[in-house]
Amino acid sequence: MERQRYAFHAAGTVLLALASQPLLAQAPAAGPETVEELRDLSIEQLAQIEVRSASKQAEPISRAPTSIFVIPGGDLIRSAATSLPEALRLAPNLQVQQLDARQFAVSSRGFNGAESSNKLLVLIDGRSIYTTLHSGVFWELHSPLLEDVEQIEVISGPGGTLYGPNAVNGVVSVATRDARETLGGLARGTAGPRERTLAMRYGASLGDIGALRVYANGLDRDDLPAGPAPDNNDSFSGWQAGFRADLGKGTDHVTLQGDIFDTDIDTLPGDGDRGHNLLARWTHGFGDDRSLQVQAYYDEYRRRSLLVTDSLQTFDAEAQLNARFGAHHIVLGGGVRTTRDDFTNNLNGFHLEPQSRRLWVVNAFAQDRMALTPRLDLIAGLKLERSSFSGVELLPNLRLAWRPSARTTLWGAVSRAVRTPSRIDRQLVFLPLLAEATNFESEKLIAFEAGYRGQPGASTTLSVSLFYNLYDDIRTTEFTGNPLPIRLQNGLEGRTYGIEAWATHQLSSRWRASLGLAALNKDFHLKNGAVDLANRASLGADPDYQIMARSQFDLTDRVQLDLGLRGVDDLGASGLGGYVEADARLAWRVSDPIELYVAGNNLLHKSHVESNDSSRAQRVQRSVYLGTRLRF
Amino acid sequence: MTGPLPSWPLRPLRLLPAALALLASPAPAAAPPSDVAVKAAFLTKFPAYVAWPAAARPRPGAPLHICILGGDPFGRLIDEAARGQQVDGHPLQVRRLGAPGLAGGCHVAFVQGNAPALLQGLQGKPVLTVTDARGGPQSGMIHFVIHQGRVRFNIDEAQAARSGVGISSRLLGIALSVRRP
Repeated sequence: MERQRYAFHAAGTVLLALASQPLLAQAPAAGPETVEELRDLSIEQLAQIEVRSASKQAEPISRAPTSIFVIPGGDLIRSAATSLPEALRLAPNLQVQQLDARQFAVSSRGFNGAESSNKLLVLIDGRSIYTTLHSGVFWELHSPLLEDVEQIEVISGPGGTLYGPNAVNGVVSVATRDARETLGGLARGTAGPRERTLAMRYGASLGDIGALRVYANGLDRDDLPAGPAPDNNDSFSGWQAGFRADLGKGTDHVTLQGDIFDTDIDTLPGDGDRGHNLLARWTHGFGDDRSLQVQAYYDEYRRRSLLVTDSLQTFDAEAQLNARFGAHHIVLGGGVRTTRDDFTNNLNGFHLEPQSRRLWVVNAFAQDRMALTPRLDLIAGLKLERSSFSGVELLPNLRLAWRPSARTTLWGAVSRAVRTPSRIDRQLVFLPLLAEATNFESEKLIAFEAGYRGQPGASTTLSVSLFYNLYDDIRTTEFTGNPLPIRLQNGLEGRTYGIEAWATHQLSSRWRASLGLAALNKDFHLKNGAVDLANRASLGADPDYQIMARSQFDLTDRVQLDLGLRGVDDLGASGLGGYVEADARLAWRVSDPIELYVAGNNLLHKSHVESNDSSRAQRVQRSVYLGTRLRF
Repeated sequence: MTGPLPSWPLRPLRLLPAALALLASPAPAAAPPSDVAVKAAFLTKFPAYVAWPAAARPRPGAPLHICILGGDPFGRLIDEAARGQQVDGHPLQVRRLGAPGLAGGCHVAFVQGNAPALLQGLQGKPVLTVTDARGGPQSGMIHFVIHQGRVRFNIDEAQAARSGVGISSRLLGIALSVRRP
């Protein structure tokens, strides 16, 4: 049996990205645990202690034994980004490709591309937004108000036990601020030759029981010129509005939130996206040691473009119990999600069989974080996951975190993760050419990771993560008849390995500099002498490395200058060259409620190309705009 | 070259049962503090950075009173934080009060639940008033907020000045925002 070997040869192997943290010295890498220990801290140290809340994402970053980068809300406001996927460029452990004015592809540790980036779990306030159609994310459907975002956590690698389905190569978790922290009004407007945005938010107190905010924001963006793909009329305009209420009384906390959006695109009359969602979450604390969280949401959207209509309704309910006793912090939980989709294609012969289907995915998990010694934690977790297209998958995860000093955490992890089949994997049909792949299985990963996170100096933070990923059953397209029909199969196996690192240095109380890098090697081959008719399209097109640098400088108490630079290597075999681009923002706080700024993205060239997608990718253009924010 | 999936990578997973057997380990749970614990610690630190008018200062050796008005979110946490602590020779004492009328003798007042009326009752009195965004929007001289996963606070120096309470620059320096007199 002849085995083919295929490798993306990596010349450089490192990607620098910028770490962005609030402009204040960093907290010690390990925090105090008891009131007695808190008493010994200075007020400055107290102000830097990361605190826990009841949610599963609440573990302080400095202790999480995983490759996690956090984009604080303050950095979002200081950046030139005007949309969520653009803001993700701040995370060195994500690779962001702008496809056209509207669409982006985002991935972690490889597989990037509009269709191949299908191994990421993306959450907005606990609501999962990847689609069961192809397990990817339609970023253009989500426009949370960036000013209300508390932080974006970006985990590269399997998210561990506590995250839901599809956390294979990474997790992006967007958390908006508690409504009690966003009282008052905010208005923002930006205008430039290529794009206009408008946003409003108002937060009102509901007395001592809580607070409510409402927001709306709109975006109008011009067409980009043809790139690897012909010009595709990608100009669009749309809006999203929503609310969030946080109600707290004693040890109970209830969050209610929802969004509604509507976007028009210029391909054909009536084309565009619309949808809405509603989420409720209840957290109850039992003393200081135990808490229960119950959450449910409904989400519905419909996308229409070029005679193709795709709709999805999701209902999800989950519960999680946190308990600590003695040396143990136990988390138990489970969830059930059901979706109903409908995919109508009047453009060509590809369709889903059946056209509409209800799918289920259920999971249950347990994790124990135990302190073996005061400096050594062991985290052992197991998740069971079952979907309509898979049997019960066992997803174990074992992590060690060692804190040799208060400023240093060393960690290691072994995890198994799977991507359960999507509707397209199983049920895409175009007879007599393409038949249903009733035997398409989950794509599988066993990941080995190790990392360092700490403060090598008083004003420097550093994180370095190494990974070695073994994949099996990655999607191929193969002859299964004589020779037709072809079917999607699990014909690829292989490995990836690489490094992610970021560092932040506080040069003075006003000036912070950050560097970040990520490097990736891919090495895949076809199993059993198979032939992949899609020529490994499922592996995506990734740069061997990307490097980022950022400077955040408060010129005066009222003037801020932010500069960012990113260098992205070529996309390997696709022949698409690498690029270097810059963004900048200069802001002047005229008075406490009024801020004026000028900002720009992709400043170094008139235009450049970020993706080799021959049906989507347009040339990304320089964009400069003026903006203002008013608070009242 | 053989396949890239040798059997050895699976072996570490077999350690899982062994790891679970370590459950009886005696070390304390490595857990970050709750926001309430950090707020309690802050409350006991504030007096060192506050200057009261001479008439309102405790007599030498007399206790400095931290009062909890309205609801009490702290429970034993504030008692533990204050236990044995001294500021300029004044031991810290925690008092829980139902009405501001009783607040005479308070140096620090943490106010929650029906905060507008309680704050109204303390207006102009030389008491450092502290509130929490999680307990309502009404803001005392110091107002706790959660900012990027940390307990921080805003300071209303103007309000403090009207009551004759001075706040040190060190405390002002770590405030998220300061409203100047």
